Amino acid sequence: MDSKSSACSSPNPNPTLGPSKLMLAFRFLRALSLVRRTTPASSRTCRGRRIERAAYASMAYSAGASRAWSRAVLRRLHHRARRRAVAPRRLSTTAGNRAEALRRLVPGGAGMDYCTLLEETADYIKCLSMQVELMQGIVDSASSYGP
Amino acid sequence: MENERFFGVNWQSMDARMPPEMNSGAAAADQLPNSFLNLGWEQPMHHDAHFESALSSLVSSPSSNTPAGNDSVIIGELIGRLGSICNSGEVSPPSRYQSANNSCYSTPLNSPPKLNLSSMDHQQQGRGGVPVPGNQMAAGNFSPFAADPGFAERAARFSCFGARGYAGLGGQFGLPEAGKLSRVSSCQSLKAVLMGASDNGKEVPVLEPERPETETRSKFGGEAEFGNSQEASSVSDRVTAVGAENNARKRKAASKGKAKGAPLSSSNKNPPKPSDGENSDAKRCKPAETDGADKDAAVKPKTEEKGDVGRKQGEEGNAKPPEPPKDYIHVRARRGQATDSHSLAERVRREKISERMKLLQDLVPGCNKVTGKALMLDEIINYVQSLQRQVEFLSMKLAALNPQLDFNMEALLPKDVSLCILFNPLGQLPQQVYPLDMASTAFSYAQQPQGTPLQSIVTNSLDVQGSLNPLESSLRRPPTMQLPRLDGFADATSQLGNLWEDDLQYVVQMGLGQSQGTAFSSQSMPVE
Repeated sequence: MDSKSSACSSPNPNPTLGPSKLMLAFRFLRALSLVRRTTPASSRTCRGRRIERAAYASMAYSAGASRAWSRAVLRRLHHRARRRAVAPRRLSTTAGNRAEALRRLVPGGAGMDYCTLLEETADYIKCLSMQVELMQGIVDSASSYGP
Repeated sequence: MENERFFGVNWQSMDARMPPEMNSGAAAADQLPNSFLNLGWEQPMHHDAHFESALSSLVSSPSSNTPAGNDSVIIGELIGRLGSICNSGEVSPPSRYQSANNSCYSTPLNSPPKLNLSSMDHQQQGRGGVPVPGNQMAAGNFSPFAADPGFAERAARFSCFGARGYAGLGGQFGLPEAGKLSRVSSCQSLKAVLMGASDNGKEVPVLEPERPETETRSKFGGEAEFGNSQEASSVSDRVTAVGAENNARKRKAASKGKAKGAPLSSSNKNPPKPSDGENSDAKRCKPAETDGADKDAAVKPKTEEKGDVGRKQGEEGNAKPPEPPKDYIHVRARRGQATDSHSLAERVRREKISERMKLLQDLVPGCNKVTGKALMLDEIINYVQSLQRQVEFLSMKLAALNPQLDFNMEALLPKDVSLCILFNPLGQLPQQVYPLDMASTAFSYAQQPQGTPLQSIVTNSLDVQGSLNPLESSLRRPPTMQLPRLDGFADATSQLGNLWEDDLQYVVQMGLGQSQGTAFSSQSMPVE
């Protein structure tokens, strides 16, 4: 049982309401605890990757299956792609291929038309910022309360 | 099915299969009332024109200089005639109007032989409700009518007449079918009744004064076109006449590109119908129409020389085809905007994109200051990238955190299954949409007793963006209550966790009921 399965434990129960922060937090915390329990503390990069994957998975599950990007993230996770969930790359954002850059950034954006891409991007940004906020909160609190 | 077919017919004026369908559809016993209506109302329109000529002689030029009272009489007559002819029963005119109508109607119409035909078929339609002969005959007499030299003037007069008359119609009689009636009025020249009840119904009240005009004009367009195929020279004369008279109004019509598009389509369809009567002409018409908008435009150049009229109608002819595939995304071209299919589709797309861009603008900080889509897109890309990098970085940081957090995590999510059993039955409550409020209240309850950093994490980080439901906020205790009751929280969360883990599909899909939330509260509150 790894971070993935724990994070994917439940589909978004209420897709119409959009991602709920509490569900996201709950999923992520649970996944985090699992990662911590199951991976040795020594291999930090491995842990970091798994945590990152857990973060994306919990995001995707919170977003629900109605979103193309969440489906893409989960597909990638389920198929155990070797590369990371979303690999940040340096993108050449020249005038011509801005849309292409966005397509590569947003999971599942490859085959989308421009309208859908923008919509997905908006949702993705929402979820991502929420996730970042959550993680930041955890890190902050841990560092402040910790020894 | 019939309906769809008629839709097809309505929308695709250039459709080659239209005439046979029309006929077969009309002949079919199960014909829809709508199509009936269409056929029924369409003919009276032509007839109106005839009738108007008669009227103008009987009543001294009623359309141009009549006061309101006179108008109302005319309107009444109109209604009466329509009602009696079309046998639709929608319009219940005063009987005296009817009788008066009939007398007027018969006398003037009988004078010209062509009109006689039309009157016959109208009556036929009205009585027998047999649209087929009506169609054919209307077709038959339509063309001679188009050839009528005085038609332009009469029709022009009729257009104002129609405008005033129909504007008055709804208000005057206050019919329950006012909407329908106005729709009919607007669609008289055409079968655009099917074009969309909602659309027409909505618009008509506002545009009523103008609409009939545009329709009649578009009918002119159709006739002009038809005439073109028949006898180009006379048509040009006629159209110029019409154009001269209607030029001012034509502008208005142009702004309503779409409203006109449909009418035009039907009026374009009229010529094929005549094909029964005069096959050679129809054959000349049909190929042109089957080729679609381009060909249509090609046919138009003749009329184009005559100025505004022809050109605008040509545009409308082009504008119409886009609508059917789009399936009721009614796009209206504003004044001066192109109305061909590609432009319309493109405009819709652009609107959508800018809408989404606005949405993104709100989401991405610093995007408001940027002008231009490219820069905005850059900003968005950067933001997404930075967020992704942040996630990466934070996850690394989390991985590198000291074991203190480990302990917290363990405390937060223990593998305590004791209370889970209690709640499992509750998890199988009957179907409900997942009550988010309940979940969050439960969660907040769970958070209350514990004084660990996680409370502040969850509450702080999660509630920053607001959107707390009132229930939760009302239930949340002030942070002063910081009892280190880790077990209470642990229990609660473990229940939550176990619920999700055990009956994942089940529970979460079905939802946690209200009872669960209350159970949660009752369970966790005493812990404090």
